[in-house]
Amino acid sequence: MFNLRLTRREAPIRGGQVLAFTVGLIGALALGAILLMVDGHNPIDIYKKMADSAFGSPQAWSTTLTQAVPLGLAGLAVAVAGSMGLWNIGAEGQIIAGAIAGTWVARLGPDLPGPALITLMLLASVVGGGFLALGPALARAHLGVNEIITTLMLNEIAIRIVRYLVNGPWKDPTAVGFPVAPELPEQSALPILFERANIGVLIAAFVLLAFGFFASRSKWGYELRVAGSSAQAAEYVGISLRTKILTVLVLSGAIAGLAGGIRLGTSSRIVEGIAEGWGFAGIIVAALALMRPSGVAAVAVAFGALRVGTVAIKGEGVPASIADILQALVLIGALTAGVFTTYRLTRSTTSKEVATT
Amino acid sequence: MTEETIVGLLVSILEFGTLLYLAALGETIAEKSGVLNLGVEGMMAIGGMSAYWMAIESGSPWTALFFAAAATALFSLVHGFLSVVIGADQVVSGLALTILGLGLAAFLGQDLVLQPPGAEFSPLTFGPLTDISWIGPTIFAMSPVSWLAIFLGVATWFVLSRTRVGLSLRAVGESAATADAAGTRVVATRLTSIAIGGALAGMGGGFLTLVLAPGWNEGAVGGLGWIAVALVIFGAWKPGRVLLGALLFGGLLALGPRLQTFRCQEGQEGACLSFDVNPILVSMLPYLLTIVVLILLSIRSRNRPSLAPAAIGQAYRREER
Repeated sequence: MFNLRLTRREAPIRGGQVLAFTVGLIGALALGAILLMVDGHNPIDIYKKMADSAFGSPQAWSTTLTQAVPLGLAGLAVAVAGSMGLWNIGAEGQIIAGAIAGTWVARLGPDLPGPALITLMLLASVVGGGFLALGPALARAHLGVNEIITTLMLNEIAIRIVRYLVNGPWKDPTAVGFPVAPELPEQSALPILFERANIGVLIAAFVLLAFGFFASRSKWGYELRVAGSSAQAAEYVGISLRTKILTVLVLSGAIAGLAGGIRLGTSSRIVEGIAEGWGFAGIIVAALALMRPSGVAAVAVAFGALRVGTVAIKGEGVPASIADILQALVLIGALTAGVFTTYRLTRSTTSKEVATT
Repeated sequence: MTEETIVGLLVSILEFGTLLYLAALGETIAEKSGVLNLGVEGMMAIGGMSAYWMAIESGSPWTALFFAAAATALFSLVHGFLSVVIGADQVVSGLALTILGLGLAAFLGQDLVLQPPGAEFSPLTFGPLTDISWIGPTIFAMSPVSWLAIFLGVATWFVLSRTRVGLSLRAVGESAATADAAGTRVVATRLTSIAIGGALAGMGGGFLTLVLAPGWNEGAVGGLGWIAVALVIFGAWKPGRVLLGALLFGGLLALGPRLQTFRCQEGQEGACLSFDVNPILVSMLPYLLTIVVLILLSIRSRNRPSLAPAAIGQAYRREER
């Protein structure tokens, strides 16, 4: 039709994904600028304000990093499963499950000293997130049930469980407006690292580093990659696929759950929208990072900045939805650009092929 | 429980059923051609927002509905471009469509939030049939869009299972390489299926904002799109079974908020609920049921071939044949 076709390059371009991400980002900002202009804003002013609020001062950095924590953990959760060729679409629900479990612990032991309470809450959130992933993991490992749909469905179930809790058993009777649970005890707040960032940043960074290390340096990580690239090869060298699927999906859920726990220690109470779309954004983050932990960290900071910037321009009358639009556009742009890092566009040689075959 | 409350429930079931069926039918067509589209939630938001806007602009509900279908079909081609043309992962691409759709609908529809509806459908008239008890005030009083949905369901079934076009579409969904070798245009077939799926999801969204819950806000779709995705599996990729599923899931959605009215009054006996059922917990049932069905299907398909289109989720590039 266009007389053009894609042919695979002998090797993908070096640093191609960084290039693709940059192209995606520029494309998204350009399209976003059109939207902003249509909406009656000056895009340059808006983008300047966004960049300033995200990177302009130590305080700006601290809010950006705070937003990057759940994005990075959700992204890592997706990437952990993705490194084995599995899809965890349920990070959104697992974040909620983590927050529910953390709240539950805080309600049981409101008088515990801070360090003990925080440790228990974070542990509970890890267990909560892992627990929500356990069902899909078991179904996938033992029955071959598609984990995409089961994890997706559990998101909606988790959203309704937290809705039920904050509207019913956990409802704060003194709160006015939309229903929320009561504030957690003061000592459950995560200690501040600098400005507005708390130690959640360190925890997330540690988890990302740890996974990055184990994935690339350990036997476990090696087996994961083997199992991800070929199930048959894995079985042949004696890797139990079932155990791998089970551990990877539960670990994935646990990491997302931790994000819920950290959010709880940051925002001090559970609300219906505790997951804020981070779980879904995590899928974009992981896809942009090509399932690599280092990439996840970088994309999470970029998207964290985007979110902080969006909050800052709310006063200008720009709706918060612009953050989601830009994130999706970055992905779309990067996916498109990414094609050209592994393929090259060539003139079609159809006529020649027909002649020789 | 009076006749009035039961009729009210049935009307609501038909409305939710229509909405779910339109979207799920569209997803069925896309999946039959081998493309999983997780963008339904976002497509319904685009459809709902654009229908509501067009209803205000034009004053005609039909113009609004078809405008929504066209706009959403166009929008769905973002997924088509990513997953079919450049071969990106269907899961990632579909979710990008959902996030983009929800964001765009919220952004573009910000001025619509407090606006009153611009148009409504008038029911078809069936003369004396409308006076028949039970089915008169329900089936013969339902929205003309519900009739359209039924017609589209039958048409889809016919085209998919009885025509050459349907055969090639299914062939593309079972094995793109084989279909390609047989001369079917894989890319064109898949893009068309995605666009038709988008149009139907857009109509579902339009039905939501024009009929089921007139109005627009950014949380309007609220997970209905995911139910539509679930329904396709629940209905085993068959238009008829998907319809049954849509009515069942529609029933659960309609029942939830009405449970309170079925609660026994003081001293009341007979057909009423003697205990409290939380409507929020009831609203989980469609999702739970889908998981249960998925598990049952996979146990069943251990000895039998799977019901899912074999090539679903796989990008197709000719040189990799």
